[in-house]
Amino acid sequence: MAISLLNPKAEVARAAQALAVNISAAKGIQDVMKSNLGPKGTMKMLVSGAGDIKITKDGNVLLHEMQIQHPTASLIARASTAQDDMTGDGTTSTVLVIGELLKQADIYISEGLHPRILAEGFDKARAKALEVLEKIKIPVEASRESLMDVCKTSLRTKVHQKLADVLAEVCVDGILAIKQGDKPVDLHMVELMEMQHKTEADTSLVKGIVMDHGCRHPDMPKQLKNAYILTCNVSMEYEKSEVNSGFFYKTAEEREKMVTAERDFIMQRVRKVVELKKKLCDGTDKSFAVINQKGIDPMSLDMLAKEGIMALRRAKRRNMERLALACGGVAVNSLDDLNESHLGYAGLVYEHVLGENKYTFVEECKVPQSVTILMKAPNKHTLLQIRDAVRDGLRAINNAIEDKAVIPGAGAFEVAANKELLAFKDTVKGKARLGVAAYAEALLVIPKVLATNSGFDAQDTIVKLQEESRLNPDPVGVDLTSGEPVNPKDAGIFDNYIVKKQIINSCSVIASNLILVDEIMRAGMSSLKG
Amino acid sequence: MGTREILTLQFGQYSNFIGTHWWNLQEAGFTYKSDDISEINHDTLYREGVSPRREVTFTPRLLSVDLRDGLKALPEVGELYGGLQLPSTSELNWNENAVEVKKEDCDDKSQFLKDLAGASNVEEVLNKDYDFERDVTVWSDYLYSRFHPRTVNVVKQFEYGNVNTPFDVFPLGKEVWKTEQFEEDFTDKIRNYVEECDSFQGFHMLTDCTNAFAGMSSSCLEYLQDEYERKSVLVFPVIPSHFPDNDYETEKERQDSLMSDSIRLMNLALSYNAYNEFSSLFIPLCTSEKGFRQPGLKRSFHNTEYNHKLPYHSSAILASALDTFTLKHRLKTSGFNLVDLCVDLNMVGRKCASASLCFPFCINKNVDLIDCLDQWDGPLTKSITPSCEIGTDRQMQHITIRGIPESRLKGPPHNAEKQRDLPAFKCKTVSEMLTFYYQCTQYASATNVTSVQKALPVKTPFPKFFNQKLDFTGNFTNSEQLSKPESIPVLAGLHTGAEIGVMLEKLHTETRKIKFKRFNAFISGGIENDDFEECLDNIFTLRENYEDNYFL
Ligand SMILES: Nc1ncnc2c1ncn2[C@@H]1O[C@H](COP(=O)(O)OP(=O)(O)O)[C@@H](O)[C@H]1O
Ligand SMILES: [Mg+2]
Repeated sequence: MAISLLNPKAEVARAAQALAVNISAAKGIQDVMKSNLGPKGTMKMLVSGAGDIKITKDGNVLLHEMQIQHPTASLIARASTAQDDMTGDGTTSTVLVIGELLKQADIYISEGLHPRILAEGFDKARAKALEVLEKIKIPVEASRESLMDVCKTSLRTKVHQKLADVLAEVCVDGILAIKQGDKPVDLHMVELMEMQHKTEADTSLVKGIVMDHGCRHPDMPKQLKNAYILTCNVSMEYEKSEVNSGFFYKTAEEREKMVTAERDFIMQRVRKVVELKKKLCDGTDKSFAVINQKGIDPMSLDMLAKEGIMALRRAKRRNMERLALACGGVAVNSLDDLNESHLGYAGLVYEHVLGENKYTFVEECKVPQSVTILMKAPNKHTLLQIRDAVRDGLRAINNAIEDKAVIPGAGAFEVAANKELLAFKDTVKGKARLGVAAYAEALLVIPKVLATNSGFDAQDTIVKLQEESRLNPDPVGVDLTSGEPVNPKDAGIFDNYIVKKQIINSCSVIASNLILVDEIMRAGMSSLKG
Repeated sequence: MGTREILTLQFGQYSNFIGTHWWNLQEAGFTYKSDDISEINHDTLYREGVSPRREVTFTPRLLSVDLRDGLKALPEVGELYGGLQLPSTSELNWNENAVEVKKEDCDDKSQFLKDLAGASNVEEVLNKDYDFERDVTVWSDYLYSRFHPRTVNVVKQFEYGNVNTPFDVFPLGKEVWKTEQFEEDFTDKIRNYVEECDSFQGFHMLTDCTNAFAGMSSSCLEYLQDEYERKSVLVFPVIPSHFPDNDYETEKERQDSLMSDSIRLMNLALSYNAYNEFSSLFIPLCTSEKGFRQPGLKRSFHNTEYNHKLPYHSSAILASALDTFTLKHRLKTSGFNLVDLCVDLNMVGRKCASASLCFPFCINKNVDLIDCLDQWDGPLTKSITPSCEIGTDRQMQHITIRGIPESRLKGPPHNAEKQRDLPAFKCKTVSEMLTFYYQCTQYASATNVTSVQKALPVKTPFPKFFNQKLDFTGNFTNSEQLSKPESIPVLAGLHTGAEIGVMLEKLHTETRKIKFKRFNAFISGGIENDDFEECLDNIFTLRENYEDNYFL
């Protein structure tokens, strides 16, 4: 644009235009995502031009599969990603509420209200909504039952009920197995293992470790009972090192000599393992497995196989820690002074071969403080769908444990907050109250869309809910099979506290940014620079 | 000798252009006849597997990374292991009536890919001519190899087509590496590959070094150094021979292009610094002379008329070089390992080496190697390392020649005529004669020559950019030939010498001129002025390792 055109009036016009652009962008992605919300939302199957398949109901995943070039849209997408990173849930709601806040804002601004004042109102409403959240939250213990409720609610919005309930059980049992007192749960200690299996489709909890590799020697045992487990990070392969290499600097004899010395050195190491095995196992019913983070070459494998030792190489770094947690013992970095106290124990170790892939199960551990969720499905995209769901389930459970509370779902919080905000509005001085009213109205998008997605009329539903809420002090949500009001507590529908809190906070901030166009332009620009 | 496996990593579009040619031409060289015993051990770079349909597969031991729209018709999971069948809505674990299918338009497959997919006899397709010069926009357009489902990795956060958020600066690549997709899944794939190997020797890494992939490969290297400390990593930073923005027309375009040149140079400097720290050896490649700030004039190769503006062309030349100078550690018979190569060239901290190429190796039909070398004018090879010439003295070098059978060495004793007068006549093998040639023409150099019988296969989809006077074995004739070359002789070398110090000095001088503080994208990505200064200092220090008095 030529400089001469940039008079102050043009600035205003430009700002108004930019606001219009922001609002239409927000509406645009709201429209795309609306149909996803809730247990009756639509599942989307995205097929790329090349034929790759992605199945998802997750707002955040969808936003990232769609290429977003519009700076406003990408700002909203980032809010939803942040929501996901922090809480693991609530991404569709975030987009819907931001979109609705902008729609409401549009009405007031077109009537002449200054965006600044509106934003001020949003902020007041945000603070009030947080108060409502505190009031409505329901304290819970980390009991199996209450964790199941919140996990089921979350999972039933991702996969159909039957599968959701199986996954919820697996997730809750997995976390309870590794939870120790009041210590925070380390979700990494629940490993997710995928198995692409032509005929089987189920997900189960293995109280132990499953690794995605197996023995690389034909004579090694494929199954051990009553096994000592040696977990180590010690190279058992002869590697040509820089010292004995090079064509220009050393004679062939010099090199050969060093090679022999190095090979001997490796064999010494392997002998240490063999000796310990002989000492502990020979003449008993015990057996021995080595799980090594480093390599094991065929010569070493051979030595171990001759002793009936099962040996795995190149184990995942994190599995070193997990094996120690599951089986006991410690992961050693050196084989000097190796003794029984370093070893772990498992009642059963066995290999499972599937096509070109091998898996090793370490089970029947005494007190497994690390477990594995094993997912089987016939193809990659289903595995990914289940993996995403299991992750969400685990996050939901962990949130509930950390929050020590849950929130009644099915729109109950939104209806309650709407009611209280409308009352609060009258206590707010000046036009900022319009911002509070806009906010109150915007929250209702959640119960409305939940109802619409189940085939009920949004308006009818809201009227019923508000009426019930006036009469009844208990939380009031929408029953998606009847369209009638229901107490979510009775129906077992619970959301995470932290998820709602994050939604309340981020939506008003992002929406304010978007209506304060100057700021968004700057934010937009800096987001472009990455 | 058992197989000593190598895992190849490719980061970025140009690397993948090169890689594609490389895998294609290796597969063009596969022979399934049992009597023709290949000298090359393909198991070094390939792996054998079993698909869910129980078919035996033989696929590159490869991990490739690119942006989503760099793939076009190539599915991420490949088709070899299935999984592209659309599930019915009842299989989606959801209420069938609430499923929405969104299908993107089918990207156009190139004619070559369409023919391959429908071919009953693949040979026919490989004997056809295609207009690749016009058809190729991305590397998968001419990909003949089929990949393991592990191989392709797509960075979803960025697209080439999205000019608002380019994947253009070093720190962006480092950032993407930190995501779960790379720190967890990608590194797991590396582990899966390595675990399968009985005698894993190390990594080949091809990486774009002028865009954000520079940062990504740097992070990856750091990881490899940490997790696989004793394995060799040979890195090939690659620079395209042409950047379209350098063909500017307006003043604004000129300004933008200048900015882009600076950004590319900074990426280059930052990545060289990382490669120096974390690789065993790195060898920059480019078919244009300078590489930085701009690629500069194209280098010309005998009897080859390539269009340097087409990555499809220039990448084919670099792939030919790569295939040739890595042969030495991929032969069935030799005990020469990747680590030997690295150690020979990286002594006294000379982590950067240069490469050169004679493409095709110029030899007239029916002429013996001895006469060919006797009449040779000028240096044998031409540098393919940007801003670096190949010196004529004090070189440490590994040379590989292919496609010159021992029978072409010299005339038979009874009618050798004038050849007898040449001192080289005493040489009994191709490699001996070339070694002798280098001894005579270069001062104080150490040269190791490998000769491989097998010529470089250049059939479709390799570019048909050769002089018409080359016959089907790539030998020069006096008349235009009806048939195009099917294979060509090639000579390629890897070198270290004082000239690399000169190149590093040029890099240092050019990069010094940049006002780092003006490039917010680097700073906001977490690179501070001090980091940048340190990087420049490191490059300057590295340069010192190439000063003559340190060596020989
Ligand atoms: N059985 C149910 N009945 C009514 N509402 C439900 C039920 N289960 C979940 N919800 C509501 O659905 C919303 C979450 O939907 P979801 O698709 O997971 O979107 P988000 O990405 O925002 O988490 C929450 O408001 C939750 O209270
Ligand atoms: Mg949810």
